[in-house]
Amino acid sequence: MEQHWKSAKGLFGAVLGPPLFWLVLFFLIPMGIVWLYSFGENRGLTDIALTGTFANYLRALDPLYLMIFAKSVGIAALTTLICLIIGFPVALAITFAPPKAKTWLLLAVMLPFWTNLLIRTYALIAFLRTEGYINQSLEWVWNGLGSAVSVLGIGVLGPFEPLDLLHNNFAVVLGLVYVHLPFMVLPLYSALDRLDTSLIEASLDLGAGHLRTLLIIVAPLALPGIASGVVITFIPALGSYLTPDLLGGPDSQMIANIIERQFKRANDWPFGAALSFLLMYMTFIAIALQALMSRRPRERA
Amino acid sequence: MSMFSGRGASRRGLLTALGAAAIGVSFTACSQPGASPAAGGEEPKLNFYNWDTYIGETTLADFKTASGVDVNMSLFATNDELFAKLKAGNPGFDVIVPSNEFVTRMTEAKLIQPLDHSKIPNLKNVDPSFMNPDFDPGRKMSAPYTWLVLGIGYRKSKVNGVPDSWKWLFDSDAYKNRIALLSESADLIRLAAKYKGHSVNNIPPELVAEIEKMLVRQKPNIKAFHEDNGQDMLLSGDVDLVLEYNGDIAQIMTEDPDIGFVVPKEGSLLNSDTLCIPVGAPRPNNAHAFINYLLDAEAGKKISETILYPTPNAAAKALMPADYRANPVIFPPADVLAKCEYGAFEGAEKASLYEEVITRVRAA
Amino acid sequence: MMARRSAPGPLEYLRRWPLRLWLAAVGIFLYAPLIALMVFSFNDSRRNVVWQGFTFKYYEKALNNASLIEAFVNSLTIAAVSTVLSLILGALAALALWRFRFPGKTGFDGALALPIVAPEICLGVAMLVFFAKVLPWPQDLPWPLNLGAIIIAHVSFCFPFVAVVVRGRLASFNRELEEAARDLGASEWRTLKDVILPHMAPSLVAGAFLAFTLSLDDFVITFFTSGPDTVTFPVKVYSMVRFSVTPEVNAASTILILVTVILTAAALKLQGDPASTEGGHAARDRNPKRH
Repeated sequence: MEQHWKSAKGLFGAVLGPPLFWLVLFFLIPMGIVWLYSFGENRGLTDIALTGTFANYLRALDPLYLMIFAKSVGIAALTTLICLIIGFPVALAITFAPPKAKTWLLLAVMLPFWTNLLIRTYALIAFLRTEGYINQSLEWVWNGLGSAVSVLGIGVLGPFEPLDLLHNNFAVVLGLVYVHLPFMVLPLYSALDRLDTSLIEASLDLGAGHLRTLLIIVAPLALPGIASGVVITFIPALGSYLTPDLLGGPDSQMIANIIERQFKRANDWPFGAALSFLLMYMTFIAIALQALMSRRPRERA
Repeated sequence: MSMFSGRGASRRGLLTALGAAAIGVSFTACSQPGASPAAGGEEPKLNFYNWDTYIGETTLADFKTASGVDVNMSLFATNDELFAKLKAGNPGFDVIVPSNEFVTRMTEAKLIQPLDHSKIPNLKNVDPSFMNPDFDPGRKMSAPYTWLVLGIGYRKSKVNGVPDSWKWLFDSDAYKNRIALLSESADLIRLAAKYKGHSVNNIPPELVAEIEKMLVRQKPNIKAFHEDNGQDMLLSGDVDLVLEYNGDIAQIMTEDPDIGFVVPKEGSLLNSDTLCIPVGAPRPNNAHAFINYLLDAEAGKKISETILYPTPNAAAKALMPADYRANPVIFPPADVLAKCEYGAFEGAEKASLYEEVITRVRAA
Repeated sequence: MMARRSAPGPLEYLRRWPLRLWLAAVGIFLYAPLIALMVFSFNDSRRNVVWQGFTFKYYEKALNNASLIEAFVNSLTIAAVSTVLSLILGALAALALWRFRFPGKTGFDGALALPIVAPEICLGVAMLVFFAKVLPWPQDLPWPLNLGAIIIAHVSFCFPFVAVVVRGRLASFNRELEEAARDLGASEWRTLKDVILPHMAPSLVAGAFLAFTLSLDDFVITFFTSGPDTVTFPVKVYSMVRFSVTPEVNAASTILILVTVILTAAALKLQGDPASTEGGHAARDRNPKRH
């Protein structure tokens, strides 16, 4: 199926050239410098000597950091799963919406994200905190119930106990879902759009229910979109630092918080670089494993 | 054909939506050429690196009127960022605003240059007690801009008496889940050392280990570590005790009379934001002139009016109204301040160690 | 066609109540904080925390605040330019990977994933060192050239996102179509332009949205690549945290949201009602085999 590059050299050069050039010059070279730092040692406050040491990586493999890494993976995975569950129906609705509604729906999904992340997070805090809108509304309902109960003479409701919605891991996941939802919806939409509708119609005609059709027909067809959605949701979620900082509790630190503090507060660039690249190595191993696993059934087919 | 429907009509719609971007372009603040040349033969320009809103509302415009120099203020969010950014080389800043410990750090790293006191006559306005701090003896490298002291901000109606000891933050479950601590590793360890009766500097390793145990024990009682936005958490009723700077709490006390502030009896950490000239500053003469202007009595008054932080500028303080000058939160009593110290920069390894201790505490 | 007007057709998911309920819930989730943000732009307090009373003064202040407007314009300019460049580079990268077999393909594929995987701060420091030591960006350039370093950095981390989305889309392309086009004598370029590009369109929109959003909201990488005269909106906001973010920022955000909505509505109005005139088109368009 794929064409060998030699058979269309001109087109191949024009297509691969620009992104390759950009990637090498403006990404691989800068990152290469930091990669070298990960084998270096601090000399004084501003200099880094490239000594070829592995000490930074050994330090990064300390159980302390591995545990934080594992926890971050867990939080990011949960975030991705929730985003997928919430986002799939939304993408489906956009796909089958009339053209005009489509424009509005796409814009509606994106609009909140053109507001600064920090401001949005502050707004989320206004809802979640002890005296926030959610707790205030609940208290209002509770007091209403309380007076109803006492009027009816059934008993007495105790005083309202505000829910702990902020400064814990629940708040972190909620915040991450809020921030990363469009990262899931957009790739899903782009894969679902122009789906061969005759397949769905056929399935429905043959008496399969909507849910069954979704699971058996639509989901497999949307698999490439789901895969890209998962990748570009999971990885940024894994790398988030602001949400755990602002919404999290005393133990809600994620790996990106640690990395950020090494580059900034601790002024330890080699160690920060080692942690960063460890994170990248692990992500790559995961991607490679996943590619291997998904290749096998395809070969059989 | 198009992504939504036929004929690409909605694509145009989308581009129009994105065109919200385009209308702004006409607002572009264009630089004004041809202003009068400033002293010292430098172009009448200055790049100032500061926190946003950390200056008088009209100060930059006033300076332009006075000297013809156009000040362009760029922004950073933490000292760590400032340091990281300058570490790779000064991209063209003339005046920066590092805090005390970072003055030492940047001096050692040769990132800032000595000030020429003869070009800053307004240094005479500075309270003499600020002219010879430990972190910069003789004020060779830095001019004082503001100073601060860490303490406990609290909600009066929710605490028993005045929480005037670090005990309530670090070593007690009396205010379980109602405490927010500043997430600065060095500050936490230093204040805990203060609680244990030690100086904030030269903390022996045994004491650091002891502090780590104490903080791990205390962690279940702590609601959050905040990013210097503790005043917001206190004001919103999220927590009732917060480790914050006096200036930040003084700002919210004007909005809520139920807020109090105390510097604990064990003593505390002083902090001072300073004006420095980084190495490689393209316009050092303008930089000196600007620093001199900020230390002017009238200009200093306008700055204090806006940011309500304690000022080291005695002449400016004298011009301020009594409710600022006599405010015990902004200017805590002398006997309290006598027990406070500046945290010294004790080398990169110590900073790394403190960072790791707090990482362990938070992971525990 | 007539029947669809009354009862929802099999594929009109938007007209079925479970999905409507779901959309409404997601809408509340996404927009409730935004409404809180807008409400606080009228708060008569220096900070966004406790309601103190109603005022319009922050709108006046925001509109007169030259540094805020400059930051906004910088952010939007950077986002717009980065989006265009990312879209081109991302689409090309996706095409190259989808279309060709070439030595080093796996390597290119992996390297392309790197910018997505790299922690922001790490990329920020990399760009800081790169623009300080390897390719010093000249100072005092006229606007918008002084934004060049930031734009370059933004494109570097945005275009791989576009590539991922476009690849997801190309995977569903029916290659027989392309072969058919070529059998009919279309050149490589014609095939690309007339057959493949239209198929890519939805993913280009999605990719553009992603790139624009990523760029508009970036703080860390922008901070480390910005020069002394290039403040962007996120940099301004983060710098305010120490002294509390002012409602001016909320007012400015509210204005931006309203302007975007009004422009979209106007654009839709100007083009007439595509739903009524082109509905049939779209239905047919969705299924290329029926052409």
